[in-house]
Amino acid sequence: MAYAQAIFTNSAIYIIAAMGLAIFTGYTGLFSLGHAAFMAAGAYTAAILTYFYHWPLLPALLLGMIVSVLVSLVVGYPTLRVKLRSDYLAIATLGFGEALKVILENLDLTQGARGLPGIQKLAGPINTAVWMVLTIWVCRNFLRSTYGRKIIAIGQDPVAAEMIGIRLLPNQMLSLGFSAALAGLSGGLLAHYVTFIQPAIFSMDLSSLLTAGVVCGGMGSLTGPIVATALFVVVPELFRGLALWRLVLYGVLLVVIMNLRPKGLYGHEELNLGNLPKLFLIIGLTVGLTIGAGIYNDYAPEWGTVPGLLLAAVVGLMVTVAMNYAGRGLARLLRPVLPHLGATWYRGFNRIVRLFEGLFSPRERTAGTAGAVAPRPQANVAAAKPLLSIRGLRKHFGGVIAVDGVDLDVWPGQIVGLIGPNGSGKTTVFNLTSGVYPIDSGAVTFEGRALAGQPPTSIVLGGISRTFQNIRLFSSMTVLENVQTALHTAGDYGLLAAFVQWPWTVRPTEERLRARAMELLGVVELQAFADRVAGTLPYGLQRKLEIARALALQPKLLLLDEPAAGMNPQESLDLVELIKRIHERMQLTVVLIEHHMDVVMNLCDRIAVLNFGKKIAEGTPDEIQSNPLVLEAYLGQKVEYAPQG
Amino acid sequence: MVLQTIITGLSIGSIYALMAVGYSLVFSVLNFSNFAHGAIITLGAYIAWAIMVQFFRVPFLPALLLSILGAGILAFLNERIAYSTLRRRRAPSLYLMISAMGVAIALQNLLYATIGAKLYALPPVFAQDSFEVGGATISRMDLFAFVFSVVAIGLLHCCLMYTKVGTAIRAASHDMEMVSVLGVNLDVLVAVLFLIAGGLGGMAGVFMGVKYMVYPSMGWITNKAYIGAVIGGLGSLPGAIVGGLLLGLLEALVSVTTIGSVQLSTYRDVFSFGILSILLIVRPTGLFGRMVEEKL
Repeated sequence: MAYAQAIFTNSAIYIIAAMGLAIFTGYTGLFSLGHAAFMAAGAYTAAILTYFYHWPLLPALLLGMIVSVLVSLVVGYPTLRVKLRSDYLAIATLGFGEALKVILENLDLTQGARGLPGIQKLAGPINTAVWMVLTIWVCRNFLRSTYGRKIIAIGQDPVAAEMIGIRLLPNQMLSLGFSAALAGLSGGLLAHYVTFIQPAIFSMDLSSLLTAGVVCGGMGSLTGPIVATALFVVVPELFRGLALWRLVLYGVLLVVIMNLRPKGLYGHEELNLGNLPKLFLIIGLTVGLTIGAGIYNDYAPEWGTVPGLLLAAVVGLMVTVAMNYAGRGLARLLRPVLPHLGATWYRGFNRIVRLFEGLFSPRERTAGTAGAVAPRPQANVAAAKPLLSIRGLRKHFGGVIAVDGVDLDVWPGQIVGLIGPNGSGKTTVFNLTSGVYPIDSGAVTFEGRALAGQPPTSIVLGGISRTFQNIRLFSSMTVLENVQTALHTAGDYGLLAAFVQWPWTVRPTEERLRARAMELLGVVELQAFADRVAGTLPYGLQRKLEIARALALQPKLLLLDEPAAGMNPQESLDLVELIKRIHERMQLTVVLIEHHMDVVMNLCDRIAVLNFGKKIAEGTPDEIQSNPLVLEAYLGQKVEYAPQG
Repeated sequence: MVLQTIITGLSIGSIYALMAVGYSLVFSVLNFSNFAHGAIITLGAYIAWAIMVQFFRVPFLPALLLSILGAGILAFLNERIAYSTLRRRRAPSLYLMISAMGVAIALQNLLYATIGAKLYALPPVFAQDSFEVGGATISRMDLFAFVFSVVAIGLLHCCLMYTKVGTAIRAASHDMEMVSVLGVNLDVLVAVLFLIAGGLGGMAGVFMGVKYMVYPSMGWITNKAYIGAVIGGLGSLPGAIVGGLLLGLLEALVSVTTIGSVQLSTYRDVFSFGILSILLIVRPTGLFGRMVEEKL
């Protein structure tokens, strides 16, 4: 019993740290090799406070977490400043681990390599379990908040995240800090459970265990890493004689998982009742491993290591496979009722939450959902000045001049088409306008403000949003979440509220955001697909979803980069209707790049034609259709143009 | 005294540079941190130990060449097993980093589980170990390692600048897809890349083994090489060389400095890490790095 308790407590402690790493590596997509060091920071701080200064456990743990967060931010800030280069962070955390070890080994306060023996045993199975449950709950809440969605978005596509106004550095720092806080908590508990810490405990091996837990459990899942980490703590306990091979196994598992099944056990899903086969597979794995270990421990001393291991492997594998098939069989049997089972459970849970909510939330707070489709109040300066004004815009890449002195004015309420042969610099104009590339020379003014030098996020939040030529959705999120993520500026609750999910502040906001997102999906006719994973949508619908996501930012100017690419004539026709509709209902100004001439001629008030980075013509669709220069650019020679009909 | 410090710094710095070059070479083309490089270096040293001490009595030079070859082949296998699938699938660099870390963890612990944690010495190469120049002692082995490293890196430079494969590698570091479209077999190119990187790593491993000892976790010294490569600018070869040498020199300098009663040599690793952080704040691309603009 005491032994089972020990295994449980150990698992719980490591699960807390693994949750932190799951947030940081699994969701934010950043690689840290220093989480053991963050654990050390928390462990030493807490232990020193209780050991030398006789603090009680709770404040010591909290201060340990704070120290761990501060340390992580100091390590993370210089590396995360370098955009889109997660290698720096990995190397810096690796270096930090080594550096911290040296410091701990040489400080008097930490008693060097000897470590701190005889720490009070203040952590046991019960309070550790409470901390673990609290951690899981907080992580779950966090991921379901606007803050969490921003972080998940960065993990899936940092460029797209920036283009919906999510700033990378602060959000990545938030993820790092949160993650380090959990590592610190875990370290503090570890110190007060094993009652003895020394620098060697917090080695690379510990970081490897956590990484293996997160990767095998599934990057983008919380329950997956919980299961995997627990297994990784339990299994080596069972196979005592093979301790040295444990780390070899972690290493091999990392390689195998990444190559064969990068989403790990649970990928972007969570463990739930609706997925019986997986649940049984995990139970089977656990039971199989336990039985295998029992056999190994009994027979290996007599038969030798290799035959013992073989027998254990065979029996263990048989049990696992049997359980796996049992799960599948049961799932098949229960197929008619299974989806309802999960749903019923969920509904029941929600009912309880709602009951609770009713006790706290005043009625009027939940009421009143502002219409997302309602037009943004427009200042009446219209038509006096152009909304977007581009003057002498230039950009070169190496020796190639992509944009060579382009002038363009877009007046409020217009739909302007940007056409030209491939490679004529259309997308580059968009990239310069939205701040993806710095401008070489020239000026872009939006509502009278110069955009040059502004980061892409503030340009987006200032009212210019865009879509991409090659679709960039958050492909593992659902359709609804994609739009909800873009509504991040409308989230009005603080970080603490996000952690706890106060029913009286967070829930109404979240419900409002959800309603708004649904409304926006309604505009592009995707409501029926709200719960589909975005990456599984057909191409044409993905384009529409991208438009809905861009609209969520309530732009004044919408830049559409080849919205009809890859669409058949009927789909393009629908798209024309859609753009007309949003243009009218939301009083948008639109600039679109397009090769489908029927789309362009149908929609645009004015058209600008680029060729080799220069604007060669501008005018109404009729003027452009009869412009000899344009015809030459497209067809290479002068021809007589015969108007149709 | 100053001369001595410089000599010490250059001798360790040249080993850092040798490691950093292999790491940087892979980074420049495949755009991920190959954390398995340290494990390959360790295995290179173990190959030398096996054929020089444990099983045969192979003399130093052939053993060095065999280690270079062996480590090169191991690096090639490493790519085939752990990276090639991910590379073809265009997996995010996070996946490649995790896979590389997996290889590093597995190989290092495989050594612990099979050969054990014991430290092994490689036999001395020169009968008289050192000589004096202007009051400074120079180890013959260090001098040999330095010259050999310089020659190896020089050869690599010539290979990159004047051969077809080298040109292809340089082109691939700018745009791998374009190179593949132009008819270069990427699998062959990457294989050559890893053979070279592994070979340089094996060489570094043997020099390390002679200078210090051979043990399973000796590959951790590559952390310094990574830091050196970042200082020089990730993915830049001259950067890796300058960064490695600079880090070696600075560390040697710090090691002989004392502030009050504290000998800074204890805190050498903290210092290296500090340099990395400060440099990233002051000059995020490193000394020679180029900023890559993502194409949309």
